[in-house]
Amino acid sequence: MSAPVVVRNLAKAFYDEGRGEIKAVDSISFECHEGEIFGLLGANGAGKTTTLRMLSTILAPTSGTATIMGHDVVHDPEGVRKNLGFYSATTALYPRLTTRETIEFFARINQYPSKRVPERVEYLIHRFGLEKYADARIEKLSSGMKQKVSVARTVAHDPAILIFDEPTVGLDVLNALDVQETIGELRAEGKTIIFSTHIMSEAERLCDRIAIIHGGQILATDTLAGLREITGQHYLEDIFVLFVKAGQETV
Amino acid sequence: MVLNWNDVGILYQRELRSALRDRTIVTNSVLLPIFLYPLLIWIVYSAVTFVSGQNEGLKSRIMLKDVPEAHVRLKQGFEKDRSIVLGSSLDPRDDIRQGLLDALVEFLPPKSNLGIDDNFSVRITFDESRDSSDRARSRIAEKITNYREDFLERRAVQSGISREQFQNFWIDDQNLSSNQQISAFTIMLPIFFIIMLAVGAMHPAIDSTAGERENSTWETIMTAATSRTSILVAKYLYVATMSFIAAFLNLFAMMVSMGTVLAPFFQTGRGNSSLRIPLESAPLVLVGAALLALFISAGMMILASFARNYKEGQSMVGPFYIALVLPILFLQTPDFAFTPRLALIPVANVVMMIREAVQGVYHWRSIGVTLAVECVSIIVAVRIAVLIIQHEDFAIGTYNGSFGKFAKEWLLGK
Repeated sequence: MSAPVVVRNLAKAFYDEGRGEIKAVDSISFECHEGEIFGLLGANGAGKTTTLRMLSTILAPTSGTATIMGHDVVHDPEGVRKNLGFYSATTALYPRLTTRETIEFFARINQYPSKRVPERVEYLIHRFGLEKYADARIEKLSSGMKQKVSVARTVAHDPAILIFDEPTVGLDVLNALDVQETIGELRAEGKTIIFSTHIMSEAERLCDRIAIIHGGQILATDTLAGLREITGQHYLEDIFVLFVKAGQETV
Repeated sequence: MVLNWNDVGILYQRELRSALRDRTIVTNSVLLPIFLYPLLIWIVYSAVTFVSGQNEGLKSRIMLKDVPEAHVRLKQGFEKDRSIVLGSSLDPRDDIRQGLLDALVEFLPPKSNLGIDDNFSVRITFDESRDSSDRARSRIAEKITNYREDFLERRAVQSGISREQFQNFWIDDQNLSSNQQISAFTIMLPIFFIIMLAVGAMHPAIDSTAGERENSTWETIMTAATSRTSILVAKYLYVATMSFIAAFLNLFAMMVSMGTVLAPFFQTGRGNSSLRIPLESAPLVLVGAALLALFISAGMMILASFARNYKEGQSMVGPFYIALVLPILFLQTPDFAFTPRLALIPVANVVMMIREAVQGVYHWRSIGVTLAVECVSIIVAVRIAVLIIQHEDFAIGTYNGSFGKFAKEWLLGK
């Protein structure tokens, strides 16, 4: 049986009038196993978001393939999205809907069985401690509460795969820890999670395996222990710098 | 991509729910049509009535020259008239040009004497470019016409014949146009219709496209497990609904207000002109409104969807709004005929169809052409919108509000 997420030689090039063709993602390959948190660790502009956008079918790859729960991102984008929850700083909520309406809307539109939607909505409201704010409009919520509702809407249709693209960007420490804790809990529930970040401590703390991505290429993929062993470095920051420098020398 | 009507329903409901909680959209699509335009018309017409009333109170400065002695009663009539001041001038023509005098009335020998004693002709000298002078001419003409009628009647009695026998032939008016045709309401209706359809569509079109980008909800919805076609169709139907609601509410408000507070302004002098849409024309008016709402919504959404934020959206949709309204102003002359050729022009054809339907006139061939042209236009516009939304750069907003860049890449492959 193949892995829930399989990426093979995935590439994405953009054309810029001034700079010509830009390879944002350059033939990357990886697999994510069931129930793991797979980290994409890279600096800004490394190609993390483009990769995740291709996996979530917002962008079409220039070449290569990727499947989510067996659904091809190019040929069956709706099948992919049905099995996927995508969360990023650019996926905001509708400000004029209430918490309850938001979760219900995303459960329905993501094809969760309609008969079970009310039950699912109540479960998620309880699961994320949103009872007090269930009938408040999103625009009235604090940023911390919005964050919780965002996670709730991401998992509203109970997808097997979750993508978190830099989920803690712009959050204060407490809210960031809250999000990290939630991601850990979702793994415990058996979700397969792809987690992108440029914050080393987050990757160290959460990820079962880490892919170091730089210049659109994956330079290394392993567990934290494996990366330590390969490089002889203890801190992820040092490991990351070592790979990036080695990558630049190769280029 | 497959269109899923169940998903369209869910998305449409979401759009509508959000919109009805948005102050700007409710104001523009619901409150404005109901209150603003009837109120504006009332203010404008009140002002016009006030100003014309003021003008009516202004006195006309008139010089009479060579009044025949037999017609001293006419002179007395001028003297008694409170709206007229009689004066004299050495150079009346120059004084009229300079605005010191409004009109000169010269009594001249008759052009033909048909055996009527004391006959005369009158020459009125005035300056048409000045309202006061033109008004003086009207007052003089009215006074002399009344005097002439009275004079002729007296002469007829003296000759032992009736007034009718004395005047060999009469001119009687018989107007075949219905009240609907001459009503100012029917002339103005298409303009307000277009304006309200556009106003009703504008904010929802921008809000559901550029607004989503600005609020960062665009990617959220793009990653939902439904086709982009379903998303587009739901948004499109929502925008068209708001547009139609705005026009419908405005029409209703105009009918109610024109039939009551505005009624005195819209009477033509031939009895009350009707301020209601005839029941038999209602289906055609509604079909026309729906078609226009669909067409305008498609156009506005296509343009607004290239914008990154609300402001950019407004600047992109603004010219389209003007392009819609301006040509309609030229169609407002009652002489404009609804020919099959005119029916080939989108928007203008529906405007003419609605105008004629309200007047109770149905050119079925032109109506058929109009419906066909409008349906084709809507299909083409929606196809373009679907093509655009499938485009990846559009989905992530890298066109940066540039329709030109998109067209260049899409059409020329550059």
